[in-house]
Amino acid sequence: MKNPVDRRTFLNSIGAMAAAATAVPATYFAGPRPAHAAFKPKGNIPDKPFKTGHITFLTGPANLLGEPGRKGHLLAAEEINAEGGLLGKRKVETIIADEAAGTDANVKELRRMKLSEKIDLFTGVVSSGNTPALGPVAEELGVLTLFNDGCTDFLFDKAVPNPKYVFRVTNIQSADGVTSAVGAAKAWPEAKRVASIQPDYSYGRNVHEHFMLAYQKLVPGAQLVSESWPKLGTTDFTAHITKLISDKPDVLICGVWGGDYVAFYKQALRYGLFDKMKVATTLAFGGQPHAIGKDHPEGVLAGAHANYFFTFPAKGRWPINDSFVERYFKRWNEYPSFESDGAYSALYLLKAAVEKANFLAGGWPDDDAIIAMLEGMGMDTPAGYLYIRPDNHQGYKDTVIGMTKNDPKYDFPIWDPNSILTIPIRDITAPPSWPKPGSSHNESTAAANWLKTTWLA
Amino acid sequence: MPATTGPSLPRLLVVAALAAAVLALLPMGIGLYQTELLIYGLTFAIAALGFNLLLGYTGLLSFGHSAYFGMGAYTVAFIMRDLHIYSMELCILGGLVASFLLSALFGYVCVRHTRIFFSILALALSQVLWSLAFKFFWVTGGTDGIRVPRNQLTLLAGFLDFKGAGAYQKFVYTYYYYVLVLFLIAVAVMWVIVHSPFGKALQAIRDNETRAGFIGVPVRRYRWMAFVISGMFTGLAGILWAPLNGLTTPDILYWPFSGEIVFMTVLGGFRTFTGPIVGAIAFNYLKVYAVASSQYWQLVLGLVLVVMVMVLPTGIVGTIAHLLGKLRRR
Amino acid sequence: MNGEKMDTSIIQVLNSIFYAAVLFLIAAGLSLIYGVMRIVNLAHGTLYALGAYVSAWAVGSVFGATAGGNWVLAGQLLLLPIGAFAIAAVGAVIEPTLLRPLYRRPEEYVLLITFGLLMILEDVMKLLFGGTPLSAGSILDSMGSMRIGELLYPTYNLLVIGVGIASAIGLWAFVYRTRFGVILRATSQDRRMASALGLNVGRVYVQAFAIGCFMAGLGGAVVVPAQAAVLGMGVDALILAFVVIVIGGLGSLEGALVGALIVSFVRTAGIQFFPEIELAVLYLIAAAVLLIRPTGLFGRV
Repeated sequence: MKNPVDRRTFLNSIGAMAAAATAVPATYFAGPRPAHAAFKPKGNIPDKPFKTGHITFLTGPANLLGEPGRKGHLLAAEEINAEGGLLGKRKVETIIADEAAGTDANVKELRRMKLSEKIDLFTGVVSSGNTPALGPVAEELGVLTLFNDGCTDFLFDKAVPNPKYVFRVTNIQSADGVTSAVGAAKAWPEAKRVASIQPDYSYGRNVHEHFMLAYQKLVPGAQLVSESWPKLGTTDFTAHITKLISDKPDVLICGVWGGDYVAFYKQALRYGLFDKMKVATTLAFGGQPHAIGKDHPEGVLAGAHANYFFTFPAKGRWPINDSFVERYFKRWNEYPSFESDGAYSALYLLKAAVEKANFLAGGWPDDDAIIAMLEGMGMDTPAGYLYIRPDNHQGYKDTVIGMTKNDPKYDFPIWDPNSILTIPIRDITAPPSWPKPGSSHNESTAAANWLKTTWLA
Repeated sequence: MPATTGPSLPRLLVVAALAAAVLALLPMGIGLYQTELLIYGLTFAIAALGFNLLLGYTGLLSFGHSAYFGMGAYTVAFIMRDLHIYSMELCILGGLVASFLLSALFGYVCVRHTRIFFSILALALSQVLWSLAFKFFWVTGGTDGIRVPRNQLTLLAGFLDFKGAGAYQKFVYTYYYYVLVLFLIAVAVMWVIVHSPFGKALQAIRDNETRAGFIGVPVRRYRWMAFVISGMFTGLAGILWAPLNGLTTPDILYWPFSGEIVFMTVLGGFRTFTGPIVGAIAFNYLKVYAVASSQYWQLVLGLVLVVMVMVLPTGIVGTIAHLLGKLRRR
Repeated sequence: MNGEKMDTSIIQVLNSIFYAAVLFLIAAGLSLIYGVMRIVNLAHGTLYALGAYVSAWAVGSVFGATAGGNWVLAGQLLLLPIGAFAIAAVGAVIEPTLLRPLYRRPEEYVLLITFGLLMILEDVMKLLFGGTPLSAGSILDSMGSMRIGELLYPTYNLLVIGVGIASAIGLWAFVYRTRFGVILRATSQDRRMASALGLNVGRVYVQAFAIGCFMAGLGGAVVVPAQAAVLGMGVDALILAFVVIVIGGLGSLEGALVGALIVSFVRTAGIQFFPEIELAVLYLIAAAVLLIRPTGLFGRV
């Protein structure tokens, strides 16, 4: 492990690395690429369909995230099926269910999908409240699972500490709060009075805790002056907004997402909140890009769940992203979000693992073989290089965030290209085998303990 | 329309034994998934049975029974998480005490009223509990809920546990019989209650409160007792449901779940003893398959409910009994 | 109190009154229906949501999503109440077809029918308007914000407060100062007597139910430019309306008004001072009122 760096060196290094990362994408390890049809499968492959269960939000305010996830999954499935299916034989079939039916209903539906529909793979899931519920069920049922979101640290820290069947593709959640903290500290190093508005469930709690942990190390003397915990699905934020303004913060960290964020920013605009404080978010750019209007203020730190926004890597810099955005737009007549990339890459990750296992042993690989290939696998995705850590089955990629700016080419704000930061994931998350909560420490996450004890001396 | 006329006791015992035998043999024929669904059905049946002591026998419609179901389930989760006690028997004991205390408290407030006031009061009180479970994140996990770790659970004072390979199958098939036995006990106890002098007094209250008061029935106290028994049955259902679901969330405390308990009972028919049992099992299948087959599952359930109330107000059991009666007369 | 604290207080009071105005519209409808017909309509919150959807949809499809000039704004505002009228029409259909056949049966059946209706309407909204939230935010945008000291307040919200006050006065005058109000109250006192006096009780019922639904729809219509119509908003609204009428007393219009104000101010105070337990405070107050005055502040049994 590297020696801890001090905060100035760390903050200065972030911009430089961003430049390097955008300039030389070719130095990335070249993993299996989407839309490479050259693979010749060995042995006897059954041609029965490959059944996939996908639970995501089809309704409600969270649909802004669920919809692009579903579209990303279907696009990948259609592309794979156009080549004849997995290993050229097994067409991907998808059963979709609504995550908005509630956690208990999701648990029941996953059991039904496996036991009654006999799915081969389970994917999807947006809410951080649901993966810790579904993860143990998936392990119990022995169903191969690639969550494309619901990225709470609790899943692999507590609910499934030793995963076998369960994997997750998008970045770990603690990195989300830390990424926004780094972005805010770099942009507004003098902002010491912090306000926080978070949805009242594990995601909001996680963002709040990790943001504050990191921010107080990055901006010495920073203090929390205001907090609000609206329930998920809140439509009236006016009292929260007035309270935030009255507490006179320098910077606001906002983890409100989906349709809730749209309602929040529209109301905040009418109350002049954006003129009174700097605003950092974790998920303003988390939904469908067109859900945010051009009335959204510029210069807001717009999080994309520390994962992906379609304008980065910029056109011409990373061909995988260029072609993904183009194909996605052609298919759905809209631009992809981080959920689109997550769901799309999840299916391609599976494809890569199946092909690798087939290359080694021939025939259709069993789950154990696929799992062995997935552990430690690296792959180029539209968002950049994705690595599945073998110890906790969690996907990691360098995190990214930027400031909102209107661009005449789009009907919605995008990231100001000059403001985009990428942060190497290894610099902001606990390394493998770091003690989990409840072993040698009682922090809420392994990452929180790591941040507290070793980060930025 | 008295709920007590029916076949003689020996004949009833034969029918009950036959039904129990069928339930005991079912898992061999229907496989893992259907067995699990049936466990859900049986736990809901216990809840509906308890609920119907109030609706069918005492004439009080509670729209807040989610509170007692949730209390049972959350108590199990707390016992396992905070006390590290994993014996199901101790969890049942703790859960029953908790649901006793809660229903005694809420019942005391509610039975001062009848009719719609009673319903609304029961609902409002249940929502207090919901908001506490929802808001006190550090205690209850908020909407994340609390996990009920099945692999640590032990049944029959540590005699059975569920660790290692094949644990899930073992759990489902073992737990089915565990729940079945408790279900049969619950049915027997409830049968004795409704046929006891106390049960008759409740029905007298239901049919005419004033007259019941005149003949010396302590109306309010009996209603309170019925409320507590009802709450404890529903609490037992929640207790048994918790390890089955593996997780408790505020969803089971939210008032639409109370509505589902009412739905089950009406579906089966609340004027008969067996109605809630049949209704709960049927409702469980109805909901699972409606959710699985359509995004618009609420529409399906709503239509079924409206049609039941408009066309078949006596529910499944009432309608079948009516048809059988007609056949016999012919 | 310094100037800025003062401004904050004024705005929080306005926020609370805004919230109370919407809650009052919902709860007053619920209470009116109960007062006249002795029916608790569990689908009432869903009718509020449906009103919001209809208004947002109508405004959006006629005028598009972007803000326009003054004439456009006037048109949008005139079109906005369409949700209320649509819901009144829905109510006028529901009462004679689904509810009337059940009046001879125990009242539990009516409650159940409305629960079934709730489930049906929730999905009908999903079917008609899709899963994504629908908004008429262009109205809020065109009307802009006004300055209160150092702070801003959306002008449109004042309009909603005005609608709430006007509805409260209008409803009061309607019930206590018109002939129809006398008929309503007579029917609610004693249905058989009203019938014996030659009143057409069936017609009174359908009118009362439609008016109650109109109030719910109006609540949805006025709230949709400031917020958005989303699935699930009806179930949440119903439970808040219940808290209102539990506090205020079932069947009492004064109770609905006072209850709505209490709930809104307590909610705002919760957000401002106890962010951790914002929601629980509300139900705890409702429980406290129940323990002290089980029939609510203005209720009679």
